[in-house]
Amino acid sequence: MSIVLPPSSGIGRCYAKAAKSIRLIRHGCTNRPFYHISVIHRKRPNSLPVIEQLGSYDPMPNINNEKLVALNFERLKYWLGKGAHVTNPVGELLGLAGFFPIHPRSYMTAWRNRQTERENLAKQEAENQEKAATS
Amino acid sequence: MFSQNAILKRTIPIFVQTASAHRKPRWLPVAKSKIYRIPKRPVISEDEKKELLRLHNNYRTQMRAIKRFYFDELVKEMASKQSATSEMSQRLEAEEWLRCVELNDKWNAQVALDREERRKQEVAAMEEYTLARMEAKDKELKARIEKASEKIREEKELSKSFITPETLDAAIDHAIANPTDYNFAIDLKGNKYMGRDTPTVPPKEEKVAAAASN
Repeated sequence: MSIVLPPSSGIGRCYAKAAKSIRLIRHGCTNRPFYHISVIHRKRPNSLPVIEQLGSYDPMPNINNEKLVALNFERLKYWLGKGAHVTNPVGELLGLAGFFPIHPRSYMTAWRNRQTERENLAKQEAENQEKAATS
Repeated sequence: MFSQNAILKRTIPIFVQTASAHRKPRWLPVAKSKIYRIPKRPVISEDEKKELLRLHNNYRTQMRAIKRFYFDELVKEMASKQSATSEMSQRLEAEEWLRCVELNDKWNAQVALDREERRKQEVAAMEEYTLARMEAKDKELKARIEKASEKIREEKELSKSFITPETLDAAIDHAIANPTDYNFAIDLKGNKYMGRDTPTVPPKEEKVAAAASN
């Protein structure tokens, strides 16, 4: 018997005064992440039915080296107007989409990646020089 | 808790996955090998920290503005929806409704025409089919009557040679006067060889007769 997962289309109870959160909900399987961008009560676990699905995010690059994101901006605006909290990963995605300002974490990952790349390059250079010196 | 049948037939998911339980239960103690382990804290340089703080402050400010904007937008939209019950909008709505009704009537008329045509075609087809069936039935009945009358005629023809109580004596006399002898041989070409070389009385009877005489 397969595991019965709640439908992603949004059958969750929506309490008007409860705090909402727009977050990524993992829907993939082992070694294959796939996320839904959903509205859900902020204190609810991700396993429960969501209030509404706003989009999806596939973090694994496809054959064209693209990570696909789908977003329903109209509903996103509505829920933002309702005062929904946006989690960091979703904020990063929206920043890259141009809907929000770029998230500080995006900048941080970028400069850290650049730093590691620089270090790797320097290391390789040093190794090459050493090789040239010995030979 | 569950009935045996339900478990055997798997009507209830027995292994219900509880998501978001990725760690061991709260009541389990720290593993022996990890008791004196002190997690290493990430080292963030002062410059980076300052830069991150600045970025986050900016981000939060901008986000607050964006959220305020969308909230105002929603409020405005709600207000415009509420004001939609004014006289002007009501008149517009009524006009729209009338136009819709007109269009709907037009479509309905067209559909009714089509339906009438289709009905006519269907009725014609049905009539044709029924007539064909009736004709076929008639034909079959006629054929059966023909067959039966043919048989009756044949039987009548045959009944002339039947032996009735009146003609019984004459028939017996005729049979006695004209005995038929089937004791003949026949060759491949169909030639009959009449005559009898063996005694007519079967050998068993002869034996019985001899025994009686003795």
